[in-house]
Amino acid sequence: MSLAIAGMGWVTPLGTGVDSVWERLLQGEEASATTISEQFVDRAYNVFRVPESALKGISHPRLRRASAISRFAAAAGLQALESAGLKLESQNAERIALIFAISNGGVIYTKRFYHEIVETGAQAASPLLFPETVFNAPASHLAAILGVTGATHTLVGDGAVGLAAITMAEELMANEALDYCLVVGTEEIDWLLCDAYRRWRLLRVAPPIEPFSKQNRGMILSEGAGAIVLARNGFVTIERAHPGGHFRRRAEAGKILKRILCDLGQVEIDFVVSSANGTFVDQAESQALQEIVPNALVYTVTPALGEGVGAAGLWRIILAAQALRSEELPPVLHADHSVRLRLSLSRTPIPGARRAIVLSCGLNQQAAGLRLAIQ
Amino acid sequence: MAQTERRDSTNNSARVAVTAAGVISPLGFGLAETLESLRSARDCVTPVMRFSVTQCRCKTAGQVSDSRLLASHAQIPRSGRLHRASHMMIQALQELVTQQPEFEPELTVVGTTSGGMSYGERYYRSLNGAGDLRHAPTWIANYPAQKPVIDAQTAFGLSAPCYVIANACASGTNAIGHAFECVRSGRYRQVLAGGHDALAEMVFVGFDSLQASTPEKCRPFDRHRSGMVLGEGAAVLALKISTSLASAARLFSPKSSVTAFPQTIFTSRNRSHRASERDKQWSGLSRARICLWRTLIISMRMGIATVFNDATEGKAISALFNGVPVSSTKSMMGHSLGAAGAIEAVVCLLALQHQFLPANVNFTAPDNDLDLNIVANEARPAAVSMALSNSFGFGGTNASLIMRKFEA
Repeated sequence: MSLAIAGMGWVTPLGTGVDSVWERLLQGEEASATTISEQFVDRAYNVFRVPESALKGISHPRLRRASAISRFAAAAGLQALESAGLKLESQNAERIALIFAISNGGVIYTKRFYHEIVETGAQAASPLLFPETVFNAPASHLAAILGVTGATHTLVGDGAVGLAAITMAEELMANEALDYCLVVGTEEIDWLLCDAYRRWRLLRVAPPIEPFSKQNRGMILSEGAGAIVLARNGFVTIERAHPGGHFRRRAEAGKILKRILCDLGQVEIDFVVSSANGTFVDQAESQALQEIVPNALVYTVTPALGEGVGAAGLWRIILAAQALRSEELPPVLHADHSVRLRLSLSRTPIPGARRAIVLSCGLNQQAAGLRLAIQ
Repeated sequence: MAQTERRDSTNNSARVAVTAAGVISPLGFGLAETLESLRSARDCVTPVMRFSVTQCRCKTAGQVSDSRLLASHAQIPRSGRLHRASHMMIQALQELVTQQPEFEPELTVVGTTSGGMSYGERYYRSLNGAGDLRHAPTWIANYPAQKPVIDAQTAFGLSAPCYVIANACASGTNAIGHAFECVRSGRYRQVLAGGHDALAEMVFVGFDSLQASTPEKCRPFDRHRSGMVLGEGAAVLALKISTSLASAARLFSPKSSVTAFPQTIFTSRNRSHRASERDKQWSGLSRARICLWRTLIISMRMGIATVFNDATEGKAISALFNGVPVSSTKSMMGHSLGAAGAIEAVVCLLALQHQFLPANVNFTAPDNDLDLNIVANEARPAAVSMALSNSFGFGGTNASLIMRKFEA
């Protein structure tokens, strides 16, 4: 059984709404970096944040105290349902499942909760804040806001978690009791995350992100959400999902990516949406792409939107679906032109493009891929 | 890739068998020690020494011995860097692999709530107090929730893609439930399922702040219950399709291997819908005709000994399952959150295999509002043919799992 994309929602540092973000990407625009700092450490980081204006009009009692990650998810989820023409009512609420893909979760509230414990002691711990630190708090908010009463799962992982969520959705939809599955991937930024990724030698000081560069100078973190309504009919089909696997060390990432591409690339592929982000991922993907699908056009959105980790997989799927639908690819920004890949270096028409691969190589040992097709 | 191809449509005549299992919890390392603790109704809850609890109401938890845990994996490269949750997953998987060396999962589905949380705590404390951050890269690399699953698979040469489900306290049961559906549908032949969680200060203090944990003994379903205690551990189960009894189990011989009803996995998530959803869940279980079975044990997540949770679940049980023996093993080992559903599934397997009812310890007096047949304080022999395990968590996530013996 193949599933299809029936609706999409997009909340990014470049704005919100699929059509709006897509148009800005086609124009070669990129998000603006802002700095975030922390009161007890004299170090600031550049990040790509979702502009506050992007969340205008999103209000619900459940969101009053909810963290940014929940608000991003709600905005993207509502967009996706609307674009699918889907209204949840008591009769169909049980027939839609929700899968929530996250990486770091509600890190802002988690930090705030623990900070009180560290500074003042356990007696200062807030019973109101604690439930918001739980990984599935955003999914719970979203389910309540949308009125979803079907199965709900929160999946945790690295940048590959969004694609894993799609595979899981396909498994859930094998059950005829479900008509739809809403898959949401989301991420919120905090200084703590930036510091952690810097210590992990994956972060660069300032933009731009330079994909497929000879030197891995690192990425810039970003935030937002992507949401997709999966159904049995839609405008783009998820023709094949590869659940991927994990690599023991970074140097072995290429091996699993080749395996994924070998499986997905058994038919003619028009383009690949890569997860290249200025880290070790680029070299692994570059080698695998050159070897397995050398003729496919390659695009990465990370220089324009930043590394969205938990949201990134959904962003890439939305991008690939939109490219198939509109038959063009945006330009890859800040790329090394000497790389031996067919990069989409300018706004590139792809008339008649039928199939695309979306790759996700995460920063913490996970990788996955899927193939989209349009009739 | 074989994993993504739907092999057969759902085969209702096929059974999903648990063909091997591994467990580590405060009750012991492995199935044999766990069984011994269950049979002797041992209260394994002890004072917390891992972090300061001086400002907490609750000062106890079910804990896994560090010295024994770390010594068990000294041969694994860089084992000293791994988080305790990784060590627990390795320990559990080692037991499973020993039983069934040929088991090669195509997918791994594991539940957790905290991952390597205590490493995150160390990192934050060091940052905040300008402490030693030399080991920060190790803490950060071992913090993610999926890392213990990857570490365990790597230790035994497995490389299945993994889903890490974080549905709060229902995570472990949901993980087994999804794995069950994946095998039953024919999409995968072999799936590894389970859960892990290691005790962490932040989570401990969080439950204390909610006044959900107790300064006294954990007494599920007792008139004098005053709250839960936390626990930790890991458990994994090997799930396979089994069309014939002969192909079923190694650990659980054909007469005692286990299958689950397809209609018994149920999830919901919305607190505002919780009451009605739970009613549906229970009526779904009723439709599974559990009542026809003479002996049913109920091993409960929700029997965590908080006043309202136990009352809600107890009333539902008494309404639907008249007189069935009920027990919450959390009284012995604490509530291990994302691991609880998986560990309690193993408890159910042991009860089915060895034909006994685990005890609900620290029980002093029945709650007059709950008409339950509690297995009070002592395990007892019984003809057990089916077991139900419930998990209800934050965010309104509810899941139930039924396991029963294969009948030859």
